[in-house]
Amino acid sequence: MSEKKTLPSFAVLQLSGCAGCEVSLINASEWVDKYQLVYMPLVVSTHTVPDDTEILLVSGGVRNDEDVYNLRRSTELVDQVIAVGTCAISGGVANLGDRDEVRAMFTAQDNRHHLPHLLPKSHPVDAFVDVDLYLPGCPPTPELFMAALSGPQDYQAGSTVCVECGREKLKEMRPKHLLGFQQGEVTPDICLINQGYLCVGSSTRGGCRAICTIPGHPCVGCRGPSNAYIEKESQVWFDRVQKVFERLTDIPPDEINRALHSPQLSLFLFQFADYLDGGRPPRLKEKVL
Amino acid sequence: MTTLRFPLSRIEGHARVEMEVLDGQVKTAQFQAIELRGFRFFMIGTPAEQMPVIVPRICGVCSTAHHVASVKALEDVYQVTPPELASKIREVLLLGQLIQNQATSLFIFTMPDRVGASSLFHMDQDEANAEQQLSLAQRSLKIRQIGTDLITLAGGQFIHPIKAVIGGVTSGIKREAADGMLKALDEMLPVACHLFDTYWDMSISMKERIGTWGDDQPAFYIASTGRSHPSFNSDEIRVLGPDGTERASFPPRLFRSYLEYDETEYSYAGQSSYQGQVMRANSLARVNLALSMGTPLADEYLQKLTHTFGKPAHPILLFDLCRGIELVYAFERAIELLSKDLDYEDTAIPYTPHDGEGYGLVEAPRGPLIHHYKVKDGLIEDVEFIIPTVHNMLAIERALKVAGERYITPAGIDLELEKAVGRVVRAFDPCIACATQ
Repeated sequence: MSEKKTLPSFAVLQLSGCAGCEVSLINASEWVDKYQLVYMPLVVSTHTVPDDTEILLVSGGVRNDEDVYNLRRSTELVDQVIAVGTCAISGGVANLGDRDEVRAMFTAQDNRHHLPHLLPKSHPVDAFVDVDLYLPGCPPTPELFMAALSGPQDYQAGSTVCVECGREKLKEMRPKHLLGFQQGEVTPDICLINQGYLCVGSSTRGGCRAICTIPGHPCVGCRGPSNAYIEKESQVWFDRVQKVFERLTDIPPDEINRALHSPQLSLFLFQFADYLDGGRPPRLKEKVL
Repeated sequence: MTTLRFPLSRIEGHARVEMEVLDGQVKTAQFQAIELRGFRFFMIGTPAEQMPVIVPRICGVCSTAHHVASVKALEDVYQVTPPELASKIREVLLLGQLIQNQATSLFIFTMPDRVGASSLFHMDQDEANAEQQLSLAQRSLKIRQIGTDLITLAGGQFIHPIKAVIGGVTSGIKREAADGMLKALDEMLPVACHLFDTYWDMSISMKERIGTWGDDQPAFYIASTGRSHPSFNSDEIRVLGPDGTERASFPPRLFRSYLEYDETEYSYAGQSSYQGQVMRANSLARVNLALSMGTPLADEYLQKLTHTFGKPAHPILLFDLCRGIELVYAFERAIELLSKDLDYEDTAIPYTPHDGEGYGLVEAPRGPLIHHYKVKDGLIEDVEFIIPTVHNMLAIERALKVAGERYITPAGIDLELEKAVGRVVRAFDPCIACATQ
């Protein structure tokens, strides 16, 4: 045990989220012998972050006042803060609740005895504290967790999901309408766009090894835009996806444009661009793994 | 009145326990879910076909169950029946989840309680198995990894699966991939059994030390697994009475006729009952409701359990041992399924989307899970998630009260109470993200 004390230490603060990021971290079991896990309520029975912790991983969005308190308190005690997963980076799926009619349903729930009070909407972690590194994905892969812990500067991945996918793009197979995300059989080895599916892997950052598109589900962009678009406004990114569909299909641009505004995509695609509207600077690509 | 508050760890999500004590008497024992996720609100207005990819995000621990329940609910709306191959692949997917979940609950959540450690990663490294040169933590994680690998094989993405689609699955499982998985399953099954034996022995020693298996009063049990053997891709819910007789069986669309639902002001999670009676879901319910496990090694463990504790068995710490039996079952059943061809044609049947209403049921590791959707103009008009942890809320609070009464007397509070609270809650393996969806 005394030897273990000398290992670098990390803690995991879980805000409001699904624990999928934590499950992915547990899947990356190589850290077990290399790091000392000092705080992570899902798997360790300690109730606070120790004050000499080196790395703090924060997962989940800031949804209630207890999240704000735990976040501010914990980040003061550590050397480095890593925002893990879509919810921590942008608020994630909970952003679907940021509509007038839905928000009213939420706030109607907030009348219970001494429970944490809900904020009007979900916030990203860096709305409250400085973040040193962003680890995108819903959730980030085990490989990314290891890279974040042991040396993000050495991490190499394909530039886009498209590059990692390798399905063949055909000029002559041109659908006239979108099939949406899923409908019926998928032909192996042929680009999903050629088959009429709404795949945004062409501009989503690589690093996931195309685990959705290879077995036949279109990319929904959970890793966010590639470095080429990450610091730009969302319209640039939209235009790029449009161009890819124009090159490979005869689907009317209107149809693509409408489909790109689906909730499923909006969960992920604006996780970096959202700041442009909010008056804050975009996250620098150097800070995103 | 004194209020005791216990923070909780080694469970999924954010929750705590509060007990009110007056003159050494436990007045109330509350299990409080302190977060609110809100999917039941913000999924309204979502294009129906996107549900199977969004709803796994309700919970990264139970994502597979939500994924499959969602697809089944939409198949019920569109009146499409998936081909046989798709059902088998979904079963593999659900078995992967079962292995991952039961290994997590057994080894990461509850094993540290057996020896008084704060986590699996802080347990004595002398436990390292000399032959295998692997610590208890590493072996436990390897067992758990088999579940993750099965989910990835049958579900694509490793946490939030994507391969089950309305009408079937996106692709089969290639022979080469199935063979690789079979090799790993064969290799790790004895390791899983050995770890479970260790766990069983630790549990017996703990019982001798603390003198109780916890709340052992009879209760109703609810599960949707099959009569003769477990089936997690299920279509019917059954209820067992405290005396071991079957009281009801019904399809998911009739759940309101049998189950009552209430909300409280002290928790963001609701609580349900069987016609006002305390019921229990999860592993012990399934084991009490099953005639056999249908696989050789799991049946041996089941006989050992029944021989020692009878059937139906009621002490709550048996939930943990039943998880071990299911872990062994899931290995054996996955081996059976993957030994057959899972790569032939007809992975999915075409369908025409239309408006309507549908129910999707699966037996999640924590019990029967129902997704209920109303679809109008292609969008979700209304949505309900009927969550297994909510079925267990009254049973958790009853068991907490039993623990409180044991350790709180007019003379004082035994410090063992804090540990007992953790053991009680973990026996039910509650999932707060799901319960507050």
